Amino acid sequence: MGCSSSLPDRGSGRLVGPNVENGGAADAKNLRVKLVLLGDSGVGKSCIVLRFVRGQFDPTSKVTVGASFLSQTIALQDSTTVKFEIWDTAGQERYAALAPLYYRGAAVAVIVYDITSPESFNKAQYWVKELQKHGTPDIVLALVGNKADLHEKREVSVQDGMGYAEKNGMFFIETSAKTADNINLLFEEIAKRLPRPALSSSSSIQNP
Amino acid sequence: MMPEERFNVRHAHKPRRDAYGFALRPQYVQTYQEYAHIYKEEEDERSDKWKNFLEHIEKSSQSCSLEKAHTEELPAEATEQKAYREELQAEPTEQKAEIVSESDEEGNDKSSLKSISEGSSERDPKKEAQLPKETGKSKVQTWSFIRSSLSSIENMMSIRVRKQKNMKDEHIVVDKDHLPSIEEVPSQDAFEDGQEEDIYLDASSGATSVSNRESDGLKASGEDEVVDGGVCNSVQADQTKEDVANGIHPEPLFPWNQELESLVHGGVPRDLRGEVWQAFVGVKARRVEKYYYDLLAEETDPGESMDNDNSCGAFRKWRKQIEKDIPRTFPGHPALDENGRNSLRRLLLAYARHNPSVGYCQAMNFFAGLLLLLMPEENAFWTLVGIMDDYFDGYYTEEMIESQVDQLVFEELVREKFPKLVNHLDYLGVQVGWIIGPWFLSIFVNMIPWESVIRVWDVLLFEGNRVMLFRTALALLELYGPAIVTTKDAGDAIVLFQSLVGSTFDSSQLVLTACMGFLAITETRLKELRDKHRPTVLEVVEERARAKKWKDSKGLSAKLYSFKHDPTITEEKSTTEEESANGDVSQSKSDSCNLDEMLKGLSLSSELDSLSDPQDQVDWLKVELCRVLEEKRSSVLRSEELETALMEIVRHDNRRELSAKVEQLEHEVAELHQALEDKTEQEAAMLKVLMLVEQEQKVTEEARISAEQEAITQKHALYVLQEKYDKAMSSLTEMEKRVKVAESMLEATLQYESGQAKALSPRSLPGSTQGNPTRKIPLLSFGLGWRDRMKRSNDSKSTNEQSDPPIPQEETTPTPQEKTSPTPQEKTGEEVQEHVEGGSDTQVFD
Repeated sequence: MGCSSSLPDRGSGRLVGPNVENGGAADAKNLRVKLVLLGDSGVGKSCIVLRFVRGQFDPTSKVTVGASFLSQTIALQDSTTVKFEIWDTAGQERYAALAPLYYRGAAVAVIVYDITSPESFNKAQYWVKELQKHGTPDIVLALVGNKADLHEKREVSVQDGMGYAEKNGMFFIETSAKTADNINLLFEEIAKRLPRPALSSSSSIQNP
Repeated sequence: MMPEERFNVRHAHKPRRDAYGFALRPQYVQTYQEYAHIYKEEEDERSDKWKNFLEHIEKSSQSCSLEKAHTEELPAEATEQKAYREELQAEPTEQKAEIVSESDEEGNDKSSLKSISEGSSERDPKKEAQLPKETGKSKVQTWSFIRSSLSSIENMMSIRVRKQKNMKDEHIVVDKDHLPSIEEVPSQDAFEDGQEEDIYLDASSGATSVSNRESDGLKASGEDEVVDGGVCNSVQADQTKEDVANGIHPEPLFPWNQELESLVHGGVPRDLRGEVWQAFVGVKARRVEKYYYDLLAEETDPGESMDNDNSCGAFRKWRKQIEKDIPRTFPGHPALDENGRNSLRRLLLAYARHNPSVGYCQAMNFFAGLLLLLMPEENAFWTLVGIMDDYFDGYYTEEMIESQVDQLVFEELVREKFPKLVNHLDYLGVQVGWIIGPWFLSIFVNMIPWESVIRVWDVLLFEGNRVMLFRTALALLELYGPAIVTTKDAGDAIVLFQSLVGSTFDSSQLVLTACMGFLAITETRLKELRDKHRPTVLEVVEERARAKKWKDSKGLSAKLYSFKHDPTITEEKSTTEEESANGDVSQSKSDSCNLDEMLKGLSLSSELDSLSDPQDQVDWLKVELCRVLEEKRSSVLRSEELETALMEIVRHDNRRELSAKVEQLEHEVAELHQALEDKTEQEAAMLKVLMLVEQEQKVTEEARISAEQEAITQKHALYVLQEKYDKAMSSLTEMEKRVKVAESMLEATLQYESGQAKALSPRSLPGSTQGNPTRKIPLLSFGLGWRDRMKRSNDSKSTNEQSDPPIPQEETTPTPQEKTSPTPQEKTGEEVQEHVEGGSDTQVFD
């Protein structure tokens, strides 16, 4: 008797660890994240999403009316997967009235501006404030300066973007949907910054 | 050159574009090709139906007026034909292109677009000096009247438009009759040919003659020109106007309304669509002569119309947005080349001027683009005006109030009609608004396949309200709801929805489901629901507006407030301060608006005039401004307080707590799940161990079995040995018997010998007689010795007794066998010896 009762204990102690990694615990290792893209019209929000999700770039993409949805899953090095549910919103100012519908409950907001347009940078700051006020309380904010390939037309310096982002506790990156520069990095970095649901309890329950 | 090029381009792209020239998504190309022939069959069927219908209503309603009109037509027709021929000579390439694309609507759209834009492309903003003349020219090519066969429909719809106009009491209503010109377009025969390009050319050149005459007329008699040819018609129109005014329903006048409705549900033939749409929207009743060109002129001449800075800023913003969006409107569509884009730009700019409360809103670019593919530029403008100002009034304004209201209304309807679907969406955390928002805002453009978009628009424009929008959206939910219910997470649900909706190629099914399946959705019902939901939206919008105004004014008021409390300030400083303040004002337009209103409201100017000294004026202004700003500041502070109070309330709102609780519970559930998982894992481990034990058990069992088998074999061996032993024993006893026999024989022999010896002793030689017994004694003594040994080793008495008797027997009982020869004796002696050797260990078994 003594022998048989001690055996399963050892066995389970050994087996619980790998189980979690194998994806048995869906919440801890397979995250689902609602992400919303905001920013002035024509800064390349849709292009960033299309580059990220389909790996394509269409210089003459369509105007986004209302919002459009795409989803993409990425795997991180620690064998976590993150499924991004991306809401790409319309850029025109008046569509901001509809934006709360999409950013409500979002875990991540990516605010995009065009490095060749100071106006779009101002608009980005407006969105930051709006989200700080009305967004989800622990929302992850990312500030993205897009069209980085057009550096000869640059009007918003890297320092300006970075400075503003730092001041507001945001993640900052400059991307180019056209050349695909930093696009995947942007989403990977966001994934790393996501609050993880605690692994916790599983191991503590096991140990007597 | 140009047309040919475009023609080639179109064919090169054919697999990627549909019959309307719109890009097909690669994943749908296959499906589209499957549906293409269905579309064609439907198209053939409906053009026959429409042809019969139009002939019928034309005969029944206008037999008198037509004759009259025909006589009037003749000169116009002549001019038109001349124009046609001229065009043929001038642009043979274009004709060729058109002939090749005969039955292809798209070709005509392009050609019409082309000629529109050709005329207007010269109308570059740079050539402002030439504007008046140019405008005249472009008018020729950008406006055409619709065929007379549709005029009955047009009249019917015009009544609707007038009714709305009366209701709204719009100031731009110009009570002017455009009916006469219709009869001058002799497209009757062209229609019967069914050749669209002919129609177009007829129509446009007909329009040429008309507008030439019109412009002549304008020069001569000014605005109120009435062409005699249309008397009959205009009389009828006046009559219907009266009917409307008297509250008489127009139906009796148009008994074919029902028939028309069912025809519209079946779809409008492609070659009629542009004109039928115009008739539905009531372009004729809406059109105001020259209005469009005046708008364009305003646009190209910036100095003329700038009433204030505010609107200028707005226009600048719209212009910029339009510029951004034009290349992003149906990118790559063959008809939207340089010229097509120019028309699109003019159309959008003109609309922004026409209705500044809307200005330009993304989505309009698609509507305008679609309309331009079906009709000339000015016609498209008036159709767009109809759609935007009537059908979608309040939808695309700065606050998009009606659009938000409609979304709430729709959500309520969905909850009522599809409770199961809504439950599932709620469970997934998907809001209905996320999905249908874009559908409503784009009126399905880019959301469903083009054939379906256009069929929905057919009905929507016919009905003159947004009912079809709701019905179509409900139909889509009905078609795809069951599939959505199977999805497991929000992302999958939305993606599936989008792709299913995007593949709704069965346009007839969609329209039928929409029109027949949701008859309960009526304008009255929608109006009730809208009135119910509107206050919610307005509240939110006002809240936002207040927050925004407050934010904008904060900086300015703070600045001036500090100025007021600074007594050392000099006058120069105050003026510069004010100037800078004004600068701020002009920068933020809403502020300038506020300030303007405030200044007007206070009627400062009159008081200002009473103060003659500019110094006094400045001081007074300063004080007044500060007082106002102070007031504003205090109210701002109060609003801030209110806001914090509100925030507090919101914070105390138990909804948050509840949601937190829900979250916590969810978390707990997750933990329990985790524990469950661990438990199952543990169980699995246990099971594994159990298996191991079982295996071991099996192994032991096997070992046991083999051991048993071994035991059996050993037993068997034992048995064999036992048998051998028994045999040996039996042979031993036999031997013993023999020995006994031999002994008795020996004894007998000895007796006999001794008897002989006795008898012979006196005589016989002692040597010889003695020799024999001595020889025999050892043998006897040996046998006795063995017997003694045997007795000694036997513990039991019984064996003693058993073994004892033979001795007396041996000694006493002589047997006849003893008489046998000594040879057998010797032999038995040897045999006894042998048995003694093997007998030692067999003693035990005795």
